[in-house]
Amino acid sequence: MDVTRQKDLDTPPPAPRAAHDAKPVSASARAGHVASRYAVIGVWAAMIAVYTVAEPGLFLTEGTFQTIFGSQQSLVFLTMALLCTICVGEFVDLSVPATFGFSATILPVLVVDHGWGVWPAAAVAVLGAITVGVVNGLLVVVVGVNTIVATLGMSTFLGGISLWMSHLNTVSGLPTGFGKFALYPVAGLPISFFYGVALVSGFAYVLAFTPLGRHIRFVGANREVSRLSGIHVNRIRLGSFVASSAMCGVGAIIAVAALGGYNPTTSDTLLLPTFASVFLGTAVLQPGRFNPIGTFVGIYFLETGILGLQLLGLEAWVSSVFYGGVLIAAVTIATVLRRRST
Amino acid sequence: MNAVSQARPPDPARPQRLDVAGLSKTFGSMRALSDVHLQVAHGELHGLVGQNGCGKSTLVKILTGVYSPDPGASVTVDGLRLDLPIRPLRQRAAGVSVVHQNLGLVDDLTVWENVRLGHYRALRLSRRINRREEQEAAERVLARLGRALEAGQKVGSLSAQDRAVVAIARAVQDHPAGSGLIIFDESTRALGRSARARFFRTVRSLVEEGTSVLLISHQLEEIVDVTDRVTVLRDGAVIEAGLLTREVDETSLTRMMLGRHLVTHSRRESHAQDQPVASVRGLAVGAVTGLDLEVRRGEVLGMTGLIGSGFVEAAEALTGARTARAGTLSVHGRDLALDRRRGSTKEFVRAGVAFVPERRLEAGVAGELTVSDNLTLPRVSRRGGRLRIGAAWQAEETAAMIAKLDIRPPDPHAPVHTLSGGNQQKVLLAKWLADVPHLLVLHEPTQAVDVGARHDIIEAIRAAARDGCAVVIASIDPTDLAVLCDRVMVFRGGQVTRELSGDLEQDAIVRAVFDDGTRSQGEEQAD
Repeated sequence: MDVTRQKDLDTPPPAPRAAHDAKPVSASARAGHVASRYAVIGVWAAMIAVYTVAEPGLFLTEGTFQTIFGSQQSLVFLTMALLCTICVGEFVDLSVPATFGFSATILPVLVVDHGWGVWPAAAVAVLGAITVGVVNGLLVVVVGVNTIVATLGMSTFLGGISLWMSHLNTVSGLPTGFGKFALYPVAGLPISFFYGVALVSGFAYVLAFTPLGRHIRFVGANREVSRLSGIHVNRIRLGSFVASSAMCGVGAIIAVAALGGYNPTTSDTLLLPTFASVFLGTAVLQPGRFNPIGTFVGIYFLETGILGLQLLGLEAWVSSVFYGGVLIAAVTIATVLRRRST
Repeated sequence: MNAVSQARPPDPARPQRLDVAGLSKTFGSMRALSDVHLQVAHGELHGLVGQNGCGKSTLVKILTGVYSPDPGASVTVDGLRLDLPIRPLRQRAAGVSVVHQNLGLVDDLTVWENVRLGHYRALRLSRRINRREEQEAAERVLARLGRALEAGQKVGSLSAQDRAVVAIARAVQDHPAGSGLIIFDESTRALGRSARARFFRTVRSLVEEGTSVLLISHQLEEIVDVTDRVTVLRDGAVIEAGLLTREVDETSLTRMMLGRHLVTHSRRESHAQDQPVASVRGLAVGAVTGLDLEVRRGEVLGMTGLIGSGFVEAAEALTGARTARAGTLSVHGRDLALDRRRGSTKEFVRAGVAFVPERRLEAGVAGELTVSDNLTLPRVSRRGGRLRIGAAWQAEETAAMIAKLDIRPPDPHAPVHTLSGGNQQKVLLAKWLADVPHLLVLHEPTQAVDVGARHDIIEAIRAAARDGCAVVIASIDPTDLAVLCDRVMVFRGGQVTRELSGDLEQDAIVRAVFDDGTRSQGEEQAD
């Protein structure tokens, strides 16, 4: 069929091709992009400089360095656990600190109160956490319960169970040799710091370079696109809940080893730092996107800020104000960055 | 409906009720509207038509203040220039009201509550709604429309036609008789054929009084029957402004709406070979039952019909995107049960079935991720190692597909949402064509893309057929079907009622879709 005879009807629409052309990226926009990637790192450096000047001889010491980098292992595992589900588009798993606390309570209770060996108890503690992840995953992915509601309930439930197991007390008295698992010094820092580094690097690698990571990012970005591209969306979502809870479990073992015991009432205090670090991470390296390395930076950024303030003589309320303030600021920045990029 | 058709020419001496000039709207790199001019006279029923994505809804959203237009536009109502962006209260004060697609009614509320929604006046002291006064106000408007409905009954219990009256009452209550402009944005979609005729009688009586109406509709039949003049939008630009409706018919309007298609493409020789690639047996999905079909190597098969006729569901079921009630697909001898619920379309992808869905940003590509990520997605597991996807093949494949389909900007790392609609569609096509599939199923492949992109997309589909791919196109666009297909199956009520092949004329396809008897109620041409 030749349809050129209808040529008279063809009034070409005005310059449709104009829309195709690449938008020119100005030098200032590019500079802005670089600035937004490294802004937090810049603020971090500035913060260190200010504290160094404000507290001469006190802040810039090896002790401070060791305190900052030797004390945040729990948070590293918790934030990576939270990232697992956030990466597949599950906003927001509130049960992460409670799952951590649940495992951290099982271990000393089994060892101290029931005379188990440390390693079998640790295995049970991790399995307990994984069970929680499976239940969360089934509720959210299979049944379709709202994530926040399901995990809020789970969090409260686990908090109660942990208190019951521990009889509302700190459970301590683990064999001293077990502490080495977390505290063995390597290059001036406890070995558990390097467990955290390994976890973060591994996670970042999986996301960036493996087929699984690519699938995870697509499931997080658009489930229907993923399903129609042959990705088992629900399998990945369920898997992320399980991986998340496993990280909580392993993190809990390391924390208990370092502390020699656990007090389940402390679990709740981990919630805000976990969220603050993860959201702050969206303002680092990959602006607007949740990413493990940014989160890692965020954790130590926050700890630097708090330690400096404490050395200045400010009291315990400082950490709440600082974590809360930074969380709001970080989320605002990330939102603005994301909006600007669309 | 001819009973209400009274095409009248506008009186050039009178001022315009609505005068839109130089209206443009840009979203990112996409130009949705480009220098649009639109004039609606006093007491005129003016039609606005155009394909999906031509900018009709953007125009309505600007007129109702949802979007702000690009600088330089002017919107004048009765000689009074409105500030842009238009604020809803200002719009109402100027006498412009809108009746939306679903009529915007709340079924659980009563007639008067629906009519007066947004107009309630509270009693001075108690701040309560003055129920009696509101009820009377609603009744007055309904009486004006010649339909004395009981104001206290629930809207949910009304007939479709009375529901439409309630929606119109809400729209006209602010205008003194004979003034104002009502925009009906696809408002008749929910109405059956007979309700529609009465609806237009009511609308016509308002127009007789001097109220102006802008009727936006996909139903060309009703545009031709009831409007005085019609304006045609295509790709965000006005192609014909204020044509006298009595001088056009459905076919010529269709041509104006799609006109660009007609020149750039003509039918080429078929690449169909004898070897069957895919066959479907006993497919039952949606309205479709017991459908058998076979697609041969290099053949392009079209599937079309009205919405609800089942052709879309059938096409989606072929790809695993939708679970069927029954049926099997066999691709190159590999059998796939179409009635099995699956977590993903993995088995279909493995068997060489590719699906280009209609809603590209919801189901086709992930807008926030890059061109390269989207393009290579179906192959990352197969071509990559378990521990490493590998950068080289991704870069190579992406570069090759960007060049092949002329994707612009040619930046593999640009997030897909920053591309224009046509280029997004090309990325989606490239995602599947990078690996020549055995069976390629496309749903409205050229919807809402510009001329250049459409050309490239059509060429790419032809090239795929030439390479031996069996192609199925589900579309309501007769020009696409005429230009691309070797054979077109026309669906009606779940059955294939016609099968056209050989040299396909688009008019013949349109006739086959529409002219089999009268159009039944509730069945409407697709968006």
